[in-house]
Amino acid sequence: MVFPIGCLNSQAPSIMASRGGGRGCGRGQLTFNVEAVGIGKGDALPPPTLQPSPLFPPLEFRPVPLPSGEEGEYVLALKQELRGAMRQLPYFIRPAVPKRDVERYSDKYQMSGPIDNAIDWNPDWRRLPRELKIRVRKLQKERTTIILPKRPPKTTEDKEETIQKLETLEKKEEEVTSEEDEEKEEEEEKEEEEEEEYDEEEHEEETDYIMSYFDNGEDFGGDSDDNMDEAIY
Amino acid sequence: MTQAEIKLCSLLLQEHFGEIVEKIGVHLIRTGSQPLRVIAHDTGTSLDQVKKALCVLIQHNLVIYQVHKRGVVEYEAQCNRVLRMLRYPRYIYTAKTLYSDTGELIVEELLLNGKMTMSAVVKKVADRLTETMEDGKTMDYAEVSNTFVRLVDTHFVQRCPLVPATENSDTGPPPPAPTLVINEKDMYLVPKLSLIGKGKRRRSSDEDATGEPKAKRPKQSTDNKEPIPDDGIYWQANLDRFHQHFRDQAIVSAVANRMDQIFRSLPVGYNISKQVLDQYLTLLADDPLEFVGKSGDSGGGMYVINLHKALGSLATATLESVVQERFGSRCARIFRLVLQKKHLEQKQVEDFAMIPAKEAKDMLYKMLSENFISLQEIPKTPDHAPSRTFYLYTVNILSAARMLLHRCYKSVANLIERRQFETKENKRLLEKSQRVEAIIASMQATGAEEAQLQEIEEMITAPERQQLETLKRNVNKLDACEIQVDETIFLLESYIESTMKRQ
Repeated sequence: MVFPIGCLNSQAPSIMASRGGGRGCGRGQLTFNVEAVGIGKGDALPPPTLQPSPLFPPLEFRPVPLPSGEEGEYVLALKQELRGAMRQLPYFIRPAVPKRDVERYSDKYQMSGPIDNAIDWNPDWRRLPRELKIRVRKLQKERTTIILPKRPPKTTEDKEETIQKLETLEKKEEEVTSEEDEEKEEEEEKEEEEEEEYDEEEHEEETDYIMSYFDNGEDFGGDSDDNMDEAIY
Repeated sequence: MTQAEIKLCSLLLQEHFGEIVEKIGVHLIRTGSQPLRVIAHDTGTSLDQVKKALCVLIQHNLVIYQVHKRGVVEYEAQCNRVLRMLRYPRYIYTAKTLYSDTGELIVEELLLNGKMTMSAVVKKVADRLTETMEDGKTMDYAEVSNTFVRLVDTHFVQRCPLVPATENSDTGPPPPAPTLVINEKDMYLVPKLSLIGKGKRRRSSDEDATGEPKAKRPKQSTDNKEPIPDDGIYWQANLDRFHQHFRDQAIVSAVANRMDQIFRSLPVGYNISKQVLDQYLTLLADDPLEFVGKSGDSGGGMYVINLHKALGSLATATLESVVQERFGSRCARIFRLVLQKKHLEQKQVEDFAMIPAKEAKDMLYKMLSENFISLQEIPKTPDHAPSRTFYLYTVNILSAARMLLHRCYKSVANLIERRQFETKENKRLLEKSQRVEAIIASMQATGAEEAQLQEIEEMITAPERQQLETLKRNVNKLDACEIQVDETIFLLESYIESTMKRQ
């Protein structure tokens, strides 16, 4: 607490002079008669404050107890439940999982969220500015409906790998170019379409194991971040 | 927006929506209206993340958008609305007291989701209520619908602005963003829906015992295929109406307390004769609280509730209470004195309060430095010479209320931070306790023996249990404090708003 006198401005010397010299020479010169606020001559003022007030100043008086009772308990429980509930809703956006040190095979089968950073819920796009819609690449789905590949050729790198196999070389090239054409058409036609739901079934075609096989337990408890409130009480 | 308010908004957004939404929201609160790309650039966030965050914020009525010239859409945050998130439990509880569990869940769903169609709300609430009912019983949609309509009729729930119907959508490209409009008379218009159905229980057979993922079952897309009868008609909770209710409650309880003080000796009966009622009202009107005023004598006298005065009294009472609890009862006496007499000189304070000069000075300066009391200069001469000027102590209720409100925001922010800190400190232990509970639950489901359960429970040692107990107590206390401070915030905000309206 800064003592209030310290905030008041010092006098200009001319005014001071007209009052016949300062009273109480030990103190600073002030714009008004301090006796008006009750500081008499020679009164010892508290020492100036040289540092910020302590973080946890001692309490002079005990605080009033919090209201208890049915209503208080219920609202408290409600508050904590709400906190937990909101963290589970799709509106709670978690930052992207940071890239790990080594690429793992199971990465391919991790269900770590919606594809392409799109959102988990369906807003009414008619009510929102068009620029907010996130386009979803539909590469995966298109391919599986057109052809029956054993390994879906995701990128040109994969394509290069299969060049070794003479039987599939020509076929792959055909398929890739035809897919690329399809893609372009799709994107032009369906600009306003909402995102497709990520279909687990397609992934499952490629492996003999159920998806929980690839669960490496990382997600367990990992969602808690800083707040663990929903876990308790 | 003050730093304290921004800080509090930041904590609330982060707790409810995560860091990304918090970053975007706080940025908009600080900078004002901005377009999408500028937000992304200034916050260093990817465009996709900004889009996601804006969708969430708009859905929850925390951000609005406007189309400016050249088709640029700008987004603006509603800081005050963000602060309302602190009050969600109170809104929901109020709905419960007025419209029981059904009303409670309706308001809860609307607050959790920002806005919803009536059919979506009814279905969701019916499902939730069915979960809590005995086996075999279900909640009928009609009952939920009825409660919904009642909430709309009493204005606790209102329509969201609509996308205007486009007459000729072929003329030129569609606008970058719709301009939402709402007609006053449509705000509480319920569409004619015939919602027939019953709530569905989540069947326990859904969770396959073998642990197969749900994806193996054909996706339930039937809900998406059915045409929604009230498509495009969204509803939201009407917070202002709840505030009206809180205000009325506060006034009623203040008056009730007052009546108790005065009439403690009288028998409490409900057969109050006209004469006695007259007496009560006269007393109320004469009461220094000035809640009730008498305006005219026509028809035996018309009594009017003076809302602004009522709010002023409540705010003043809050200030007095804070002074008392912070500085002691003698300070409170001085404070009340200055309030009553409006302006007092140093000497007068000492005399009226009957407190020795030195202590009186000390107390006055303490209150002065914390801005509960202020100094008013009254010059005696036109040249405002300091030696010929009165310096009077006075209480400026509006500025004191603002100061206290600011402190309240800081307090709540501190409470939230402390709560988060406590939880973080014990994160490892909490995770462990969660795991143990999960193990016990699954063992109970598969019918484990008592001894086995005991063994698992002992994985948490006694001191650890103690620690968990302490944590629980502290978190509860901090949460309860937040709720309590929010009540004070509400009173002060109401008073300040009412005062500003009159200016």
